[in-house]
Amino acid sequence: MRLIFKNLNILRSALNAISAASDPKGIIESTGTYLPSLFSFASFGIFWKAGLLIHLCQEESCSPSFTKEVADNILKVFSIFGDESIDITRLNFIVEKKGASPDQKLGAKTALKSHLTLPLAVEGEVLGCVCLDSEQPNAFDVQDLQFFSVIGYQIAASLKQFQKISSIKDQAIYDKLTNVHNRRYFDEKIKGETQKSFSSLTPLSLVMVDIDLFKKVNDTYGHHAGDSVLSKIASLLKNSVRKDDTVARYGGDEFVLVLPGAKLEVTAIIAERIRRLIETTPFEIESSQIHITISMGISNIPTHQVKSGEDLVKMADQALYKAKNEGRNRVCIFME
Amino acid sequence: MVSVLKEGKGRKSATDLVIELYSTLLIEIWEIVSALIGETILTLLFLTAIRKIGEKHLFLSSLKVSEEGIVLDQLEEACQKLSPLEIHRGFQNLVNHLFQLFSTMTEGVINKELFPKAFPKFKEADRIISKK
Repeated sequence: MRLIFKNLNILRSALNAISAASDPKGIIESTGTYLPSLFSFASFGIFWKAGLLIHLCQEESCSPSFTKEVADNILKVFSIFGDESIDITRLNFIVEKKGASPDQKLGAKTALKSHLTLPLAVEGEVLGCVCLDSEQPNAFDVQDLQFFSVIGYQIAASLKQFQKISSIKDQAIYDKLTNVHNRRYFDEKIKGETQKSFSSLTPLSLVMVDIDLFKKVNDTYGHHAGDSVLSKIASLLKNSVRKDDTVARYGGDEFVLVLPGAKLEVTAIIAERIRRLIETTPFEIESSQIHITISMGISNIPTHQVKSGEDLVKMADQALYKAKNEGRNRVCIFME
Repeated sequence: MVSVLKEGKGRKSATDLVIELYSTLLIEIWEIVSALIGETILTLLFLTAIRKIGEKHLFLSSLKVSEEGIVLDQLEEACQKLSPLEIHRGFQNLVNHLFQLFSTMTEGVINKELFPKAFPKFKEADRIISKK
């Protein structure tokens, strides 16, 4: 009886820690901290579908074949509930090893003998799975299952909460149609990057992009076609810049690229490459192909006399205006 | 909440007896397993099993499952034109599929609790049908 009370106290502490965790990493860490006090196991793991993540915490001596068995098993259980199959090649696979206890040294050929693998289910949705695995046969009993399922429910609730908050955050900073950052995000970003550039004395480039004669696309093919052109251009822009660069929809058919660390000459080369890419990419509309061009204006720190992010935007905008005036489908650099 | 098939007047037919037998078994499974893994997961497992086995045994689609429990109210009507053997086979497949799902998730931990309840009922259903 005393043992059950002790375990209930540990369970309560585990649930509190999991519910207090603010992200998947924290949830896994909190769970991993308390589980060894409740169960005897060789491996504990979580598969989280939305994050395409398998995170395993294992005894140091777990062999690669044991790890593979555990990973295969967690995906197998998930497949019972999930309608879509998981692309294993896209999974992020994290294996954390911890020091082996003296009585739990696993051999290279040790196989998975028993496990508890439960879906992380909340509000009728399966977010992933959680598992406890052992090299011992019949390592778990009904009380283990009851305790582990309670932990599983708390993990699912915390993950769901994290997903909801992430989704709200995304809605606040992403443009729904084009999936690139929105104006609000850009305004904050350019302010921050300008300050960073001033303090670290590193270059910063801004490129304003405008689709040529976009109104004509809307008038000729309708707004649905116009939306698909905007989405495709956003995607081409996103795939043409580095991971740390920012692509945002500035408004209507205008986009901006923020390129931290990029010198003016490099920015001009990137912009010209993007202009050519768009010019040569066919856009499928109503079973016919059309060609779209863009105009771009560039401003840069330290090339231009800039006091704030707003100055940088104004200058890039003026350069864009010049590109339009000179006949469109070209890149112009701001001239003071 | 779980609703059970109501007893009719007079001597029960083999169909009624088989339905009653499996209704009791499903309720027992629900009560035991929900205490172990909770209603949310169990609901998903029941729905998965009913969807899969219900493709072959259509009457099983009349089972309604939610986190409140299993509702068997429409079962009698759905089984009207079926032989007791067909009903027995459908339920037996459903229960076996549930066992398979429980085993995939927890090896023998859940099934160890259920087998002593289920196998006597399978035998009893066989006996009812062979006596017919």
